[in-house]
Amino acid sequence: MAGARRDTAPPRTRSDVGESDDALLAVRAAEGDEDAFAVLVQRHAPALIRLATRLLDTRSEAEDAVQDAFISAWRRLPEFHGRSAFGTWMYRIVTNRCLNILRARRPVSPLEAAGDVPAPDHAASPARITEARGAVRELRAALDDLSPEQRACWVLREWDGQSYEFIADAVGISQEAVRARVFRARRSLTQALGAWR
Amino acid sequence: MTAHTDPPHHAVDGDDEQLACGRLLSGVWDAWERGHEDPHQRTCPHCRAAVAELEELESVVRALPEEPVERYKDELTSLTRRVMDVVRLELRPGRPMPLGEPAEDLWIMESVAARSLRAAAEGEPGVRAGSCRLLPHFDAGGTGPLDVRLDVHAPADASLPELAERVRLRVLEVADRQLGMDIAAVDIRVTDLLDPAVDDQEGRDR
Repeated sequence: MAGARRDTAPPRTRSDVGESDDALLAVRAAEGDEDAFAVLVQRHAPALIRLATRLLDTRSEAEDAVQDAFISAWRRLPEFHGRSAFGTWMYRIVTNRCLNILRARRPVSPLEAAGDVPAPDHAASPARITEARGAVRELRAALDDLSPEQRACWVLREWDGQSYEFIADAVGISQEAVRARVFRARRSLTQALGAWR
Repeated sequence: MTAHTDPPHHAVDGDDEQLACGRLLSGVWDAWERGHEDPHQRTCPHCRAAVAELEELESVVRALPEEPVERYKDELTSLTRRVMDVVRLELRPGRPMPLGEPAEDLWIMESVAARSLRAAAEGEPGVRAGSCRLLPHFDAGGTGPLDVRLDVHAPADASLPELAERVRLRVLEVADRQLGMDIAAVDIRVTDLLDPAVDDQEGRDR
C-alpha cells in the first residue's frame, strides 16, 4: 500500500481542515502548550469581537469581554475534551459573558446612547440615505430597550445569521424559548420602527 | 417599548397578538420565516400587513453596516498579548518527568518535553502533532524509561506504517540527543488524515 492514494474519502473543505486543526491545537493547549493557544486566539478573536460588539454595542466593552472569555477558556480547556468545535465553544463562552454584562448594565439614558451610534456610510439615493440612517438609528435605540435575553437571541438570529438550534445551544435554553424571545424582540422592534415612521 | 402606536390587532396575551383575520401574529411570522406557502396569508390584508412590518424590519437590519471580520483585526495583536500575559501567569506545566539515569535526580516538566517531541514529529513533512503524553512506569518508582503516546494528523497519501516508523525515529532521536530522556516505547495514533490538496502549506514536497 506504500504511496497508495485513498480516493474513497469524501472531499474535505477548508473549513473541515480548519476545524480539524483547531481541534489539534485545542488538545495541545489543554496539555499546556500556550503557543498553540495563542494561534487559536489570533484565529478566532476577530469574529468573536464582531459578535460581542453586536451584542454589547461598544467596541471597548466587546474587546474586554472577548479577552475575559479567552482567559476563561484557557482555564477550562483541560475539561473541554473537544465535545464541540473550538469555535462553537468560544462563541458560547462569549455569548454568555455578554449576556451577563447586559444583565448587569444599568439603564443608559437616551442622550448617552445616541452618542454611541455611528452613522452608516452606505445607501442608495440621498433620500434613502436619510431614511435608512434614521431607521438604523431607531433600530439601535430600540435594541437597547429589549431584555438582555431578547437582545442576545435576536442579534444571534438576525444579525449573525445563526440557526435556532445553534442559538439554543449557545444560550443554553430550548429552541422554543429562543423562538419566543426572537418573536418578542421582533414585535418590539417593528413597533419601534412603526412609531418612528 | 412604551410608545406603541396601537396596531389594529387584539392583544391575546403579553406576548402574542391575534390579527383581525383570527390568525396569531407569531404564527404568521413563523410561516414567513420558514417560507411556508399559505394561500390565506398570500391574500389576507391583515396577514400581509403583518408580514410587511417584519420585512421592513429585515430591510433595516440589512442596512446595518456590513462589518467584514477583517475590520476587527486592528486590535488583534494587543488583545492576543493581553490574553497571553495572563495565560503565562497560569501555565500548566504538567508533571515532572525523569531525565537521564535513575540515580541522577534530573527532571523535566511534561509540557516542556512534549513541546520538543511534537516539534520532532512535525519534522516529518505533512505531519501535525496533537496530544503528546509522557507515561512513566510507576512500578519502577517513577524513574527510568517512559512511554510516549503521540497523536498525529498525517497526510492522506502517505503509507501510514512507514510514516509512523519515521515519526517514531524522529521522536526517539530528539528524546535521546536533545533531552537525554530514556524512552521505552512511542505509541503513535493517527487521529486525522489531511488532504495535501486542501492543506497546501505542508506535505506538498513528498
